[in-house]
Amino acid sequence: MKRSTAYLVYIYGLLVLGAAVLMVPFFFLVSGSLKTDQELSDLSKLMPEEPQWQNYGEALDMMGFWPALANTTVITTLCVVFQVISSSMIGYGFARYRFRGRNALFAIMLATMMLPAQVTMIPVFLLFRSLGWIDSFLPLVVPALFGSPFFVFMFRQFFLQVPEELLEAARIDGASAWMIYWRLMLPLSMPVIAIVAIYTFMFTWNDFMAPLIYLNSPDNRTLALALNSFSGQYGVEHRNLLLAASFVTMLPCIVLFFAAQKYFVDTGATAGLKG
Amino acid sequence: MTFGKVIRILLAAAAMLLVAWSFFDVGVRTLRSVTGSDRSAETLLTVLHWGTPEEEAIVQAMIDAFKTENPDIDVLRIHAGDYDAKLKTMLAAGTPPDLFYLKPEDVPEFAETGMAMKLDAFIAAERAAGTGAWVDDFYPVLMNAFRWDSGRQITGATGASYGLPKDFTTAVMYVNLDLFERAGVEVPYDGWTWDEYRAAMKKIAALSPEDKPGERIWGGVIKHWPDALRSLVWTFGGSFFGGESNGDFRDVQLDSPESLACLELIRELRFEDQSVFNASGLAESDDDLFRRGRIGCLGPYGRWFTPRARQITDFKWDVVPVPHAADAEPASIYFTVSWAVSAQTKHPEAARKLLKSLCAREGQVRTAELGLAMPSMKSVAESDVFLEPGRDPQHTRIFLDAVGYGRLAQYPRLKEFNHILDRELKDVLILDKDKITVADAAANVEKLWLNELASPLHSKQYDKMPWGKVLGVTGVFVALGVGLLVYISRREKLGSLSRAEERTGWLFISPWIIGFLAFVIGPIITALLLALSKWSAMAPLGEARYVGLDNFTHMFGYDANYAQSLWVTVYFTILIVPIGQVGALLVALLMNVEVKGIGLFRTTYFVPSVVTGVALVTLWIVMYNNEQGVINAMISATGLPAPDWFGKDGPIFAIPAIVIMSLWGVGGGMVIYLAGLKNIPASLYEAARIDGAGPVRQFFSVTLPMLSPLIFFQLVMAIIGSFQVFTQAYVITSSTGGENPNLLVYVLNLYRHAFQFHNMGYASALAWVLFLVLIVLTSLIFKSSKSWVHYEGLKG
Repeated sequence: MKRSTAYLVYIYGLLVLGAAVLMVPFFFLVSGSLKTDQELSDLSKLMPEEPQWQNYGEALDMMGFWPALANTTVITTLCVVFQVISSSMIGYGFARYRFRGRNALFAIMLATMMLPAQVTMIPVFLLFRSLGWIDSFLPLVVPALFGSPFFVFMFRQFFLQVPEELLEAARIDGASAWMIYWRLMLPLSMPVIAIVAIYTFMFTWNDFMAPLIYLNSPDNRTLALALNSFSGQYGVEHRNLLLAASFVTMLPCIVLFFAAQKYFVDTGATAGLKG
Repeated sequence: MTFGKVIRILLAAAAMLLVAWSFFDVGVRTLRSVTGSDRSAETLLTVLHWGTPEEEAIVQAMIDAFKTENPDIDVLRIHAGDYDAKLKTMLAAGTPPDLFYLKPEDVPEFAETGMAMKLDAFIAAERAAGTGAWVDDFYPVLMNAFRWDSGRQITGATGASYGLPKDFTTAVMYVNLDLFERAGVEVPYDGWTWDEYRAAMKKIAALSPEDKPGERIWGGVIKHWPDALRSLVWTFGGSFFGGESNGDFRDVQLDSPESLACLELIRELRFEDQSVFNASGLAESDDDLFRRGRIGCLGPYGRWFTPRARQITDFKWDVVPVPHAADAEPASIYFTVSWAVSAQTKHPEAARKLLKSLCAREGQVRTAELGLAMPSMKSVAESDVFLEPGRDPQHTRIFLDAVGYGRLAQYPRLKEFNHILDRELKDVLILDKDKITVADAAANVEKLWLNELASPLHSKQYDKMPWGKVLGVTGVFVALGVGLLVYISRREKLGSLSRAEERTGWLFISPWIIGFLAFVIGPIITALLLALSKWSAMAPLGEARYVGLDNFTHMFGYDANYAQSLWVTVYFTILIVPIGQVGALLVALLMNVEVKGIGLFRTTYFVPSVVTGVALVTLWIVMYNNEQGVINAMISATGLPAPDWFGKDGPIFAIPAIVIMSLWGVGGGMVIYLAGLKNIPASLYEAARIDGAGPVRQFFSVTLPMLSPLIFFQLVMAIIGSFQVFTQAYVITSSTGGENPNLLVYVLNLYRHAFQFHNMGYASALAWVLFLVLIVLTSLIFKSSKSWVHYEGLKG
């Protein structure tokens, strides 16, 4: 389809304007991370007089970056893989199988989301403690094996939309229920998988509460915990270092999104759906 | 190969390497700890503390020294960013840290519940053995801050000792010497009265350049968070409680002439003289203003500001005493924290040994060098290690002089007082000088505090929760529920394929069933039972008291914050749900156009949603700054009056400000809609075009119906999420200091009761009310969804 120049100018205008507005706080983040702490107290100075590149080295040193990075990567990778498989299975079951009690169970599952985590936190902690899992990654990773209502709901909404004829055809070809799920439905749901992966990644990468209560040893610290060590009893002592550390910590999220966006916008994966 | 492809391959390779390295690194460390090479010691002590990386290093150094001397004892140091939550969880689980930081205001609760060990025998033994010099080196008054007299219910010398002061600071004023000199005000190193202060502030404020309102100079800043305000009230000869001497916390003395004079002076300095900067809301940080040379006198403030002040290069600064009323003595509060030992420790002997090491002189010296606090040992504080001759502030001595006239604060066991105080004084001290008089505000504090004390939760005695009986009854209810579920399900009719299909369906959802039975149902039922109990979450569950429905009585009759928190949350939901969803959908539509470079734009729009936590708030404090912030600059440019977001205009603007912050993260929701849009077959649009539908028509008759399952999903999630909003409100409130009733969302109120006020039972009751509200709302949406959600697959 050929687009007029006016249309393109309009679209790019909108895109650039929106991007500019969204980038303003981000600009302050990056410029702040290169300032001295004293310079940060004057907001009218947009740029640092002399970029303080050593802020990055100091920040990473101070927060104990490398072990925290390894811990966070391990926890996040496991959570993403577990979450995608478990949630898609459960969502598929709820969407495409009729069994007695299905609606009631689905309602119960959604309801479990509505109780604020702050009050179940201590009982859940008691449970994991009785399993002897404190100060290990297990309490952070194992729950991902059982799906999360949010993602199950998302997969269910997606699988509900898949035309019945597609499944029927596969069944006639003699595919088993597992094969249909694994070979047909899962690849079809690539856009949802990409979203669930990104959401899980971002959530786990940035999660503060669960690591806070389950991890004890300084060696087991995640990045979110390490970031929090910049705020002491009397507020944040080194705002410039905090901003530098935050920037480094969020880089993987940005890179991941950049790489993954192709999947949930890729119509190729879902082409078969509407054939 | 295109450039983009190369980048993607490189990124993928980097990601693989990162994952591989991480698993290897963690694997090696795990192996090492399993084989036990660093867990050879028999006795393991845990130490819980908070602090900046530098403070962590000090604690670690003390522990390392201890371990070298005691190779048979291993120490696990735990640093907690959210100390209250971490400590509570450990206490509730019956695994308290052996040593931990204890704040003076928590001493009554820890002493009364028997969670902290009495240290008197240990101290006596040290003295008897002739090694007690170190204990006697602590300022006696600081020791007293951690003594609790259970009989008289007061803190002080007559009580048992529950903690040893790790460090402390008195209150002083930081002054800009250049401004004092320019204004011709003598620097009051030997003390000054409030009248002299007031005159000085006027002279300094008069230095403001008239032609540049943006560079206004303020005489001073008066800090007035509850402990600072208490210190100020003392300098007028007033006090918070009659109970400062007799333990009667019903006798609120805020309405005495002396206390009122203090409040009135702060009000007049701000609103009548306009010589003192009023840091309302997320306004300009007054600390930063001082550092930029725009404030004459900042305080009352502690030693902790010194490292930041030392970075000032543009002017000379120093410290002076806090002023006092002409007819009253100078006074200062002690800001302090102690090391305490758990009463449940399995190794009391080792724990006390470690306590001694943590308090060692070496740590005191390093604390002094760091500059964040004053050493609590007299011999270190009164030496050059702390006084640092030649280094700013030149009159460090004044911190020590204040020890001479310092006073201990009495804290009631119920921690709600400070919050009531802060909230009720906000109107008169910061926001609206005409709305209420100082005397009325003080009377309101007393009224609400007495109401809080009158709640059955705080005034009645309850029996222990009969867990056996309660669990039995719960079991019966659960069985009945399951029975009902089975009965209803059995009545559903299934088709011919059903048996096999049913079994496969169950198999697919089995992960959830297992997880639910193993990890979800138990905690949920526990939370329900806790709603009927009074439990501090400091002792194990067995200590909970059964209160029947009194938590709900408290909620609707005595919780001063309940109605406000409900309103703030509803206000947030009403704004964020429609605005957030429409915004995400619009951005997704924009991101859906296929033009060159769109991938980069998508990433750009998504990036803001990955900024979280403290960094997010640090950024937005910059953005919302009244004076220099970008947002208000833009609003002013349009000619509209710029709001004071979290201050004066807070009742209306605080929540919208959070909504704007959330909209910045619109990329998160955009992603879901974008995937949905990409999933709409092009053939539908083609058909619509052939039928002559324009872009608008196409949107309403193709896009919206096809997206309806997603919109439905997003709507349900958005409502659940918005009622549970917590992080932004929590971080902004805690980083601006003090109460902000306009940000007191439901879960923030709940969080405070659970982790700060020692009311886990009440917090559970709050949670269950929220739970019921959400159930009703969600089922309404589900009911309505049948008429507007379009499922293609099921209609086929």
